[in-house]
Amino acid sequence: MRDLFRIGNQELSSRFFIGTGLFPNPHVQKEAIKASGAQVLTFAIRRINLESARDDSILQHVQDEAYTYLPNTSGARTADEAVRIARLARASGLSDWIKVEISANERTLLPDPIETLKATEILVKEGFTVLPYITDDPIMCKRLEEAGAAAVMPGAAPIGTGLGILNPYHLGLIVEEASVPIIVDAGLGTVSDAAQAMELGVSAVLMNTPVAKAKDPVWMAGAMRLAIEAGRLAYLSGRMEKKKYASASSGYEAFKLN
Amino acid sequence: MKEQVIVMGGGVIGLSCAFELRKRGHEVTVMETSRCGGQASGAAAGMLAPYSENVEGPDAFFQLGLESLQLYPEWQAAVKLASGHSFEYTNSGSLYAVFHDADLLAFEGRQLWQCRHGASSRIVEGGELQRLEPNLASNVRAALYTPEESHLYAPHYVKALEQGCRLMGVEIIEQLEQLAVTEWQSEIRVRAADGRIFSGDRLVVCSGAWAKELEETFGIRIPVYPIRGQICAYEADALPVRHMVFSSQGYLVAKENGTLVCGASEDVAGFDTSVTDKGIERLRKWNRRLFPELEHRDPFHRWAGLRPSTQDGFPLLGPLSSSDRVIMAAGHYRNGILLSPATARFVADCLDEKQTVECKKAFSPERFGYL
Ligand SMILES: Cc1cc2nc3c(=O)[nH]c(=O)nc-3n(C[C@H](O)[C@H](O)[C@H](O)COP(=O)(O)OP(=O)(O)OC[C@H]3O[C@@H](n4cnc5c(N)ncnc54)[C@H](O)[C@@H]3O)c2cc1C
Repeated sequence: MRDLFRIGNQELSSRFFIGTGLFPNPHVQKEAIKASGAQVLTFAIRRINLESARDDSILQHVQDEAYTYLPNTSGARTADEAVRIARLARASGLSDWIKVEISANERTLLPDPIETLKATEILVKEGFTVLPYITDDPIMCKRLEEAGAAAVMPGAAPIGTGLGILNPYHLGLIVEEASVPIIVDAGLGTVSDAAQAMELGVSAVLMNTPVAKAKDPVWMAGAMRLAIEAGRLAYLSGRMEKKKYASASSGYEAFKLN
Repeated sequence: MKEQVIVMGGGVIGLSCAFELRKRGHEVTVMETSRCGGQASGAAAGMLAPYSENVEGPDAFFQLGLESLQLYPEWQAAVKLASGHSFEYTNSGSLYAVFHDADLLAFEGRQLWQCRHGASSRIVEGGELQRLEPNLASNVRAALYTPEESHLYAPHYVKALEQGCRLMGVEIIEQLEQLAVTEWQSEIRVRAADGRIFSGDRLVVCSGAWAKELEETFGIRIPVYPIRGQICAYEADALPVRHMVFSSQGYLVAKENGTLVCGASEDVAGFDTSVTDKGIERLRKWNRRLFPELEHRDPFHRWAGLRPSTQDGFPLLGPLSSSDRVIMAAGHYRNGILLSPATARFVADCLDEKQTVECKKAFSPERFGYL
């Protein structure tokens, strides 16, 4: 089955975006990324050696494959700072995709919606392919789409918490309203969370911690990949309706001899 | 009860375990396939930096590192005393340098948890940073200053451990080429390549990056992989660096002997220990961002070692449930020098049944399952 989706001018078949941070070592990192089947890799711009990105301590290990890089502005607290580091990333030749990530609170790292919208507007005008990370607010997600975001990335729960989808109702609404891809970013903990996100109809999920912090990150990457595929297939298949009472799957009628 | 202990591997971990076990009165033999300190341990930069090495937060690994850092003042004095050798041990403190405003948010989080765990870290910038580290590049936005971190000169430390062990009566047998564990349940029997058989009551496995070789023997998964670290040193007489200076790309640390050590790559290269131009060039490309002066200098010495990394980043520590005659102590990856005293104490406590394994559950050697 060819089930592709598009972000900016790029067609993607993998619905798993993976973060490159937190892995215990480059061997496990490399193998886990391979096992995930991901085509899009994300990382914090502030941690990269921008003067020589090819030699960066993390990126040097993922250069053999044709990945699309999605650098993020994590750590930025204002639109200005996010725009500044986004420009640095593009100037270094890394990518013109940018994940806008602006947090004002050190403890929750929840996105600042006002600054995120501002940065999105500016970066869209400058020709970036912008993917903002935002809270799971349906109106806010729509506003970002209208500002020109190529995809919108609502969080399931705060970054790194692994709490799963705290508000599936909102996520469902966001998908219903959207005409750009919705990618669940942050807060997923395990395979059932990833499958649930896909069942809700999002286009893709982005994960890092649940893979990197698994006891076996390589197996977990493979498990997540399968969950995402299963969730996607289930979404396309359409689930049965829920009923209050039992009904035998092979009814009495089926056994009657004529 | 005094026991006959065989320690497999004469790196910093094996020698530290031997040192501690001998101090407690056990009969100890260290069996080394090549030369003591000849692998990762002799290559290390010697940083004792649990705060800077754990950027994410205080997990079980950090706790072990902190415990070890706090054991160091007494431990290093004991090693010096027993060996009659001296080695550099400097309480320099560390600076973790960053380049963007966007780094400050993460710094605030790190400072908070570091201070909750025994450090007096603070964020330094501008004039204060220049005073602390005068040769640091002026475009370094800020640094997280952690005064509690130290470093030592690893080759001398390992030599002193070896000498201390010998003087205390540890038998050290080198150049054994290959060792096979032929019995480990009713007693310990190890066969060397030359046919000699060594026996004992207990076996401590400290074979670093080679620990995986024992998977079949013990029937457990031992996902330990070598990650090569390439590292180099400059003559530093004209470029004083006062602290250990870290960045997201690597670190620099000045030694008493007038060298400035810059490390280190993390290469997936199997058991190949060669130094490559590319690896050293990579270090040179970022280190001048911290110390612009380095742009005009060439490192006079370059070397490499194999760090024993594990699948989840934690070492394998503790007895096997199928036979407590076998105690694992391998997979210390980037922090084996730091972790040597805490590992030695834990291994000796396991052997003496002094500590329950419970408190180090995160390091259970069987957590990856069975074959
Ligand atoms: C470039 C570099 C920089 C580093 N910097 C630091 C640092 O600043 N701070 C820090 O804390 N750590 C640092 N480390 C990590 C540290 O060096 C290691 O974690 C530590 O040395 C591991 O000690 P070990 O004894 O387990 O391994 P090793 O030193 O590798 O010792 C294992 C020994 O076992 C022997 N052996 C192998 N197989 C067998 C067998 N079957 N039987 C008997 N013997 C066997 C080997 O010959 C070897 O001598 C660094 C490492 C590198 C490479």
